[in-house]
Amino acid sequence: MQSMKLQHGMERELCLSVCVIQLWMESATRKLQGDTRAASLLQLKGEGGGLVVLLHDAASRETRKRSSERPAHRGDRGIIIMSAIRKQLSFQILLLFISCRNINTKTLGATAPPLDPTAPLQKLERSYVLKGDSHTEKVELLNPVSLVLMCTWTGSQNKPTNITGFWSKDGKEIENSRVTVQLENKQYNLKRTFSIASEADLGSYSCDFGGEAKINFVLAVPQMGDERDKPIVSYLGDSVVVPCKLDDSKPTPNTWNWYRANETGKEQIIAGQKFSIKNDEKKTKLVIHDLTADDSGLYYCGAVYGVGITMGRVELKVISFFEPLKPFIAILVEVIILVAAILLYEKSRSKKDYTAAGHLGKITDQRRALR
Amino acid sequence: MSPAPADPLEYKPLDGGWGWMVVIGAHISIGFAYATPKVLSIFFNEIQQDLGSSFSEIALISSIMLAAMYAGGPVSSAMVNRFGSRPIVMLGGLLCGVSMITASFGTSIIYLYFCIGVIGGCGLSLNLNASLIIISKYFLKRRPLANGLAMAGSPVFLCVLAPFNQYLLVNFGWRGSLLILGGLMLHCCVAGALMRPVPLPCKPPSYALEKTVEEQPNSGNTKLKKRFVKNAKKFLDFSLFKDRGFVIYLIGSIMFIFGAYAPIVFLSAYAKSQGVEEYSAAYLLSIMGFVDMFVRPGTGLIANSKLVRPRIQYFFSFALVFNGTCHLLCPLIKSYAFLVVYAVFFGIGFGMVFALIFECLMDLMGSQRFPRAVGLVTIIECFPMLLGPPAAGNYTLIMHSTYTDINQSKSAKHSSVNIEHALVLCS
Repeated sequence: MQSMKLQHGMERELCLSVCVIQLWMESATRKLQGDTRAASLLQLKGEGGGLVVLLHDAASRETRKRSSERPAHRGDRGIIIMSAIRKQLSFQILLLFISCRNINTKTLGATAPPLDPTAPLQKLERSYVLKGDSHTEKVELLNPVSLVLMCTWTGSQNKPTNITGFWSKDGKEIENSRVTVQLENKQYNLKRTFSIASEADLGSYSCDFGGEAKINFVLAVPQMGDERDKPIVSYLGDSVVVPCKLDDSKPTPNTWNWYRANETGKEQIIAGQKFSIKNDEKKTKLVIHDLTADDSGLYYCGAVYGVGITMGRVELKVISFFEPLKPFIAILVEVIILVAAILLYEKSRSKKDYTAAGHLGKITDQRRALR
Repeated sequence: MSPAPADPLEYKPLDGGWGWMVVIGAHISIGFAYATPKVLSIFFNEIQQDLGSSFSEIALISSIMLAAMYAGGPVSSAMVNRFGSRPIVMLGGLLCGVSMITASFGTSIIYLYFCIGVIGGCGLSLNLNASLIIISKYFLKRRPLANGLAMAGSPVFLCVLAPFNQYLLVNFGWRGSLLILGGLMLHCCVAGALMRPVPLPCKPPSYALEKTVEEQPNSGNTKLKKRFVKNAKKFLDFSLFKDRGFVIYLIGSIMFIFGAYAPIVFLSAYAKSQGVEEYSAAYLLSIMGFVDMFVRPGTGLIANSKLVRPRIQYFFSFALVFNGTCHLLCPLIKSYAFLVVYAVFFGIGFGMVFALIFECLMDLMGSQRFPRAVGLVTIIECFPMLLGPPAAGNYTLIMHSTYTDINQSKSAKHSSVNIEHALVLCS
């Protein structure tokens, strides 16, 4: 049985413990009859009204079962009796719980708590030892994390005992981050914890040692691979498949979104009659049906990770069928002209030969006649 | 080296004049025949995305086209013997054009297999054989040069069509590009128009024959039919196998074709494995093609010279051995500069062999038997042509060896066979 979380309010505690005991009895009887599924459902999941629903379910299932059973059997009668008792029990529990719930709402307030409210963010540590002037380190993040950045600097020629170090985000100094750094083991150390929860928290974080040395940590979601620079060409009335692919080395995103570029920015595309989206882990395809000239333009595919979205860009160009038809007809005409020219030339040459041969024949005949 | 058997109805070939226009026609025709299956692969990525099929299904289009082109050899030779080269090349050009135009409207992969693969392949096979046959009819003294110039069409069209296809793809998508490519292939009809039929020899004997045929109309018809059937059967003629030279040529060419295309397929992969970047690796193939373009007519010129012409079979064997040794030395190459040198020598070897491959067959068979011979050779060459590169690929998988090892074994195989070929041909 799950342990109940301690909440403020003695009445609530009492109420809930009573509920617990009764429910436990309920589930035990169920288990005895082998109806383990209903029994496990009755186990407490958390606070709140979910339990009421579950109880409802169990009760309704019970009534359904009863109606389907035939009361003739001896064993059945036993079950009916048992089920009748259980029904009473469950009804009592229901009543109790509803009253408990009222107390719940009175003491705690209106909002329902999130799924894992106090579960800590995943911890991630990144550090770098700087020997020169500056360095940039890339950090790929997928989900919200509690990021600890550690900077170590070996120092310049003269090593003063104390320097002022500070942190900055995207070039702007973070407030209250200036500290005095002591020289320990010939090194200066700066350490700070950042809570990266959303896309706004991503960016370039830098630790600065008295303006002399700087380490930049660039926090970003995994980037798309090589972007396709040539547009996809398709025809009016046709349907086209616009693909987007993540490198195999990058992690799988939670989902994919597609956006269409318009005057104000990006507008999300919703699957429907005109658009259909097929997602396949690291690949996604947007299928556009019945293309019109308006469909030309930029499309963006976004791979959604816990902490942000990485964008890829594809350009679509819709042209009418007459565009390739024009050069085709030009080539066709050219071929016909060439063939005709060659054949005509041949015919005229053979006629010339024939008439020349004829002439020659006539001349020789004349000569013979003269002789 | 025993000369070709003397033909009874030998007329004097033109060896010039209109013959050079015929060479231009054959150049265009052969160029399209060899280059088209290779340059179509530029469109495959786009077609694959639009039709939603796997890459191997799309690559099958090229294989079907090649298979149809080679398998159609005997039929093409028979038709050329019956109707002459001109109508056949024009028909071939029309078929190719129609195949590409109808393919541009395709919505399924099976439709593309049929249009591009079968119809296109048949058109190309008609083109190829007819062009070779007409060269053998127009040239005797300058035949090696004519052959070299005509076969040079393949690298020229490859170098021209590849970037042109890219340009078309970017501007018109794959459908528009196929449409325009179909229009271009109609130029084979122009090539066909150039192939003026060779004037027939002495007319009187044929008139006499016709008269005797006309006198007996009834029995004449059935006789003609029987003769036609006999002729048709003749064109898949197995009596050619009695000729020892032909058999050796056939075996040699099977072995050569089996190994010849594998290096081309694997060259860029090998270069990448040696640490060369992708763009430079692709550049190697274009170097090879460019060198090939000049080597083929050059080889034809050399083969035509007084010194080499009588010993042309030896020259052919030398070209094969050169090709083989080139591949044998390949595994020793580690740096990019030497890979470029290898590509150049590969181009030279490849060009030499292909310039001479049909010339030697013409030399062996004579112009009367050449049509039947070339039909048989192309249909038999079909198998090693299709099996070669995949077999090489499987060899790497089975033996876990690298490209270098396949190279060595293949080249060793075919250079040894060809040395034997040369030696046997001497006797």
